[in-house]
Amino acid sequence: MEERPRIVLLAVAVRVAIAPFFMHAGDLYTIYESSIMLLNGANIYNFVYAKTLQLQNVTGLPVFFEGYAYHPLLVFFFVPFYWLFTLIAGPNPVMIDGHYPSVPLLVYPWTPVMLLLLKVPIILADAFIVYLLAGTDARKAKIYAFCPYVIFISVVWGMFDALVAVFLLASYLISSRNNLLSGILYGLSLMKLYTVVLLPLYVVRLLGRWRALLEFLGGFALTLLPVVYFLIASPNSIWNVLVTFQGTRIMGGVNMYNFIWIVQDLPFDLLVSMIPNILLIVALLFLIPRFGRKAPLLESTLAIMFVYFLFGKVINEQFLVSIFPLILLCRECDHRLWVAPFVFIFLRSPFYYFALPILWTSPIFYSYYVQADFVWRQLQAAGYLMIPMYAVGVAFSLAIFWNLLRILESTRAAVPLVPSAAAVRFRLMTGGLTRLIRSPLSSRELSRVRLAFSSGSRRRSMPWQR
Amino acid sequence: MKLKSVLTAFFAVYIIALSFIPLVHDALLAQARWMGYGTGAYQYQNQNYFVLFNDPYDGSSKPHIHVNPGIAPAARISLLEFSDWTSWVNEHNLFNEFNMTVRASPSILTVTYASPEIVVQKFVEVSPDGVKVTLESAKEFKAHLELWRWVMASINGISIKDAPKPLAITPTTTIEFTFEDERLQSLGHGNIILSAPPAQIMIYPHEKGFNKITIDFVNSRMVFTVSGSMEAAGSPSPTWDYTLLPYVLPVVAVSVVALYLLVNKYGRTPKDRATGRSS
Repeated sequence: MEERPRIVLLAVAVRVAIAPFFMHAGDLYTIYESSIMLLNGANIYNFVYAKTLQLQNVTGLPVFFEGYAYHPLLVFFFVPFYWLFTLIAGPNPVMIDGHYPSVPLLVYPWTPVMLLLLKVPIILADAFIVYLLAGTDARKAKIYAFCPYVIFISVVWGMFDALVAVFLLASYLISSRNNLLSGILYGLSLMKLYTVVLLPLYVVRLLGRWRALLEFLGGFALTLLPVVYFLIASPNSIWNVLVTFQGTRIMGGVNMYNFIWIVQDLPFDLLVSMIPNILLIVALLFLIPRFGRKAPLLESTLAIMFVYFLFGKVINEQFLVSIFPLILLCRECDHRLWVAPFVFIFLRSPFYYFALPILWTSPIFYSYYVQADFVWRQLQAAGYLMIPMYAVGVAFSLAIFWNLLRILESTRAAVPLVPSAAAVRFRLMTGGLTRLIRSPLSSRELSRVRLAFSSGSRRRSMPWQR
Repeated sequence: MKLKSVLTAFFAVYIIALSFIPLVHDALLAQARWMGYGTGAYQYQNQNYFVLFNDPYDGSSKPHIHVNPGIAPAARISLLEFSDWTSWVNEHNLFNEFNMTVRASPSILTVTYASPEIVVQKFVEVSPDGVKVTLESAKEFKAHLELWRWVMASINGISIKDAPKPLAITPTTTIEFTFEDERLQSLGHGNIILSAPPAQIMIYPHEKGFNKITIDFVNSRMVFTVSGSMEAAGSPSPTWDYTLLPYVLPVVAVSVVALYLLVNKYGRTPKDRATGRSS
């Protein structure tokens, strides 16, 4: 068998073997619950908004119910698989009350089947990324396919950042040939809203090429139609869930801002959380005009995302997956960045929490869970876990910063009037890459693809010729 | 100076400066006021007491009163916990059968428990001398409250030897209890002063002491004033406490940033290692 399909099949096999037995109860329950609600014709955002209002009324604090706070399109990727599950197992619930701080009740033997089916879109996204990467470099494809961090996030945690990653990668790869499709794919990457920081970059790069810009924005606008529907149907709900909630979150995560978790004063925390917001805007305003048009799209995309990782106030453990394929394609970046968020997972969440589908199969295992949880909560209450979490957060921010500097340095050096040997190598590399992925991404005939790509490649790599 | 050096210097200072925020908050803003956080919990800290009122998902610690001993001011020693999970008003469970709302002013936390039958309010007020928990309603109500501590060595002079089984003690407006803390090698004293004599007071033994006091009363208002103190009985060893974190985080920040700067200056990239060059 050829190496490319072999790597893809192995990547899928590893994921399928793990997927049925693990989950992050809170996040997977959100997907499960949202799929049920969509099939029943309920408005997901109304549900989350009502819960938030209830919570705020009870507590008198600006706290939010953490439910489905994603792009409306996301749930449509999962619903077909949930529907398939109901055909097999029937409509009765198999996962009951999984929202924080509860731990869910799980019904057997259907729980593993449900977990596997709900993770299929994520596994497919991972497989497609591996396929695309294998087209350029089998080693990079293997790194993604078997990276413990990626596997953990996709099939142990059950988080769907691989979907963001595949759309972002595809949008980048197709950007030189089809702006409409690039716009659609970029719009789909907004399933987690943080990639919105890339929109000004895409726009700035296309300024002056008005047709291309219109095509890109047209494609992007298509993906916003469901948002428009909900803005008309339930404007308060979707605004509160997507904008107010995301905008007024307390900073923290795998970054230097997680110290705020020990400051137990919500109004103060929200105020301090404005600091990274302001710096993010300043950094983007500085970076996009200077590097956005000059640097190759790959490097400028990563530079913007790295700035977001530095000054975005919430950086969850799984976010790095979304740019991991791009990091692998970038010669200036160190892909070992994944180690920090991977370590952080086990400091923030007890390892056994992900194994609930196994632990809930037996009362004996459950008693082990109770004992382990008692110890974990004691460690947490004493603050022992906060110190390594903060250290890892700072280290990750510094590693991101180091990679950002490498990109900025290489970009500054790679924009001379005469193309350097490195720039020529880059063009050759990206040319080879796109030729290799042309079949899944384009139906055009080969010669036209090559021609179209090569002009796009020049546009990307030699801005001085525009 | 090169752009890289300027950015690095800015970022290093930025990280270290941010790490002092918890310390600044603790020193200047966190004292003697109710602060809400997390998913709806509240806390209050003054020189002598730390009081936690748990989030709406949890029926315990409503409130949980801790004492800050003079011998170790950073330590928070559990003094007494009011539990809604195990408390009833007119035979209805406070946690499961009432709708609860919480509102805070800087000095008083007001908790309203509403059911179709009755509305009861709980006020929690902290002063340097103690914590006042008031239960109040427009009409008379029958209450069964459970107050927990793991564990009390004696209650009103009664030790575990005197009461191996649950015991009803003489209804009184003053309940005194003692406790020990092994970590601090110290003895603690706690007082609960009631505004009126209750109908019944029961104490419950648990292994080395008592872990629960139940108080039954019929009234439209009852005030519990809780206070406590600790004194050293031996030589306490230095202890770690959550409240020390604000002092530790700047040290962590400085250490990690210093390590980064050293590696950045003297370390070699994988590419450098391959070519044998230093960066």
